[in-house]
Formats: sequence, structure tokens, C-alpha cells
Amino acid sequence: MIRGRIIGEVWATRKHPAMAGRKLVMVEVIRAAEQEGGSGRGVPTGEVVVAIDTLDAAPGQEVLVSWGSGARNAVSPRGRGTVLADAAVSVVLAEVFEKTW
Amino acid sequence: MFLARVVGVVWSTVKWQELEGVKLLLVRPYTLDALAGRGEPTSDAVVAADCYGAGPGEDVVVAYGHAARVSLEPDLPEDARPSIPVDAAVVAIVDRFSVNPDPEESARSSHGD
Repeated sequence: MIRGRIIGEVWATRKHPAMAGRKLVMVEVIRAAEQEGGSGRGVPTGEVVVAIDTLDAAPGQEVLVSWGSGARNAVSPRGRGTVLADAAVSVVLAEVFEKTW
Repeated sequence: MFLARVVGVVWSTVKWQELEGVKLLLVRPYTLDALAGRGEPTSDAVVAADCYGAGPGEDVVVAYGHAARVSLEPDLPEDARPSIPVDAAVVAIVDRFSVNPDPEESARSSHGD
């Protein structure tokens, strides 16, 4: 999973039927601080990914995005039907403790 | 998935049979700077298959892996495995998007240049 922050939303009408009704959010990737004494805020990278959001995360909130079959499980927990997802918000973060050893 | 702008089309004559009739697009992923209106997409271009008819200048959402293959086989029976030899595909053509980077992040140094 990667850590990121919700920075926006994407709307599309021309898309695969399996995407119908799915909320698409833009997430800026946050990496861990490299120096000791990280504040827990991490370092924004400017890299943006698009993920399906089933947790209704709000703009500005920090989330964890899972990839691959992990994302498909987040979108369709019982794994039934055609699932089209390679990235999904699976956790909305409350707090991150960051320490460099 | 990532948001990208279509910047070109790729033609090929020798390819796997499953790829016959599948359009290949050259797309350029957006960075946050480009999304926020501070320039054009600058990342390395990616080739993505497309069955939705996206054209140059349009914004698209591109998926990797299994999601890409599912996207290219709309008539795939439920729970069947897609077999097309593709790892990136357009899954949606974007109508609009909103970007609202946190104001407090505007002072960050990583985007100073």
C-alpha cells in the first residue's frame, strides 16, 4: 500500500460498465521522511495516482491506497462479478507515527 | 490508475492476434504541478490500449494489470480470466476533474523549481 492525501476527484461518463457508480479520487503520494525526527507528516512527492474510493474519503484526508488484487478486494469484498480496479482507497488514516532508526 | 493526457497514437502491424483492432495510445501522466495549472504533463509517456475512442488532447484514466485487461474485454463472462496481452489500458475518458491541493502545502520546498 502507499500513503497519500486526497487532492481531488475525477468524473467520467465514457467508461467501462464495471466502473459505473464508482467514485474516483486523485491521491498525491506521500513518502516517509528521510531524516530522523520525522513529524509524521511525511513528504509530499507531487506524484498523483487515481484510485477508487469506497470509504468516501474527503479532500485533504490522508489515506492508504492498495494495489492489484488488494484493490479488487477493497472494491468487491466477496470477489464476485467483474471487478475493474487496480488502485483503491482501503484505509483512511487517523494518525501516523514516524521514526527513523 | 493514473490521470493522463493523450499525446499520440501508436500503429503496429506485427502483434498478437488478440490485439487486432485494439487502438494503442501514447499518454503522458499528469503530475500535481500539471494538474494545478503549473505546466504541462511532464512524466515519461506510457503506451495504453484503448477501446473507448479517446483521441489526442483528451484526458483519460489509465489502469494497469488485471484492470486494464478487463477493460479491453467488455463481454468477458463473470469471473473469467481476461487473456489479452496488455498491461495498461484506458478505463475512462475524463469529463472533468477537480484539484484542491492543501493550501498549507503550497509552501513546500519539493516543488520549488
